[in-house]
Amino acid sequence: MVGNKLFIRRRDGRIEVRLSDAGRAVAREAFGHVVAAERDPNHEWHAGLNAPIDPSSDDDDPVSTLNRQHEISTNAELAVMTLQDQFLNDAEAWAWLSTFQIALRSTVVANGLMSNEKLDACPSELLEYIRTLQQFLFALAECL
Amino acid sequence: MKPMRRLTTETDVTTEKIVATERPWNVVVWDDPVTPMSVVVVIFKRIFGYSNNKCTQLMLTVHNEGRAIVWSGQRERAESYCVKLQVAGLQSTIERDE
Repeated sequence: MVGNKLFIRRRDGRIEVRLSDAGRAVAREAFGHVVAAERDPNHEWHAGLNAPIDPSSDDDDPVSTLNRQHEISTNAELAVMTLQDQFLNDAEAWAWLSTFQIALRSTVVANGLMSNEKLDACPSELLEYIRTLQQFLFALAECL
Repeated sequence: MKPMRRLTTETDVTTEKIVATERPWNVVVWDDPVTPMSVVVVIFKRIFGYSNNKCTQLMLTVHNEGRAIVWSGQRERAESYCVKLQVAGLQSTIERDE
């Protein structure tokens, strides 16, 4: 079973990345989309990254929204920079997990798949992409 | 003695006002059909430092009831936690406690 794991926590505390080239390509695409969506208001994921903090208020506190933008960008850029690394430290692994999770949620929000019924009925290629991200997240969460 | 009595009354009224305006703010996490359960637990542990049991209970509340209040307190801290949860990719909002 160990050979099938996508991420492994080593004795020295580092997390080994065992993604294939195809797996890293999926990660590159997901991380790249998050970086682009944070910068581009027209990106289909942009709205998903700017969900309301306090829905009872017309506008959220600009400091909080700036903090969110900054932290999402920082995590996504760190994930992009470490994409080819074989080992990740805790902060880098957290950046990967957060960015994968944002990519997963943004994909679902952008495609209107916020229910199990809609998810089951979505095109197979999209469903396969979602399942791949879930697999990465599940494996990474086991190490953190 | 009369001024003393008035002062006491004023203090009581002021205290009541403070209590009335200090309703806590709740941080709410909402369910979605795709986030793996173990990921939610890891995020709660990382952000709040709760025990594994508490994180699992909160995650199950989100899953079964559609939402869970994961923290309550001052508005500024509630906003800060909400942003951290959103940065980690969970759907989260704040609301005034009823």
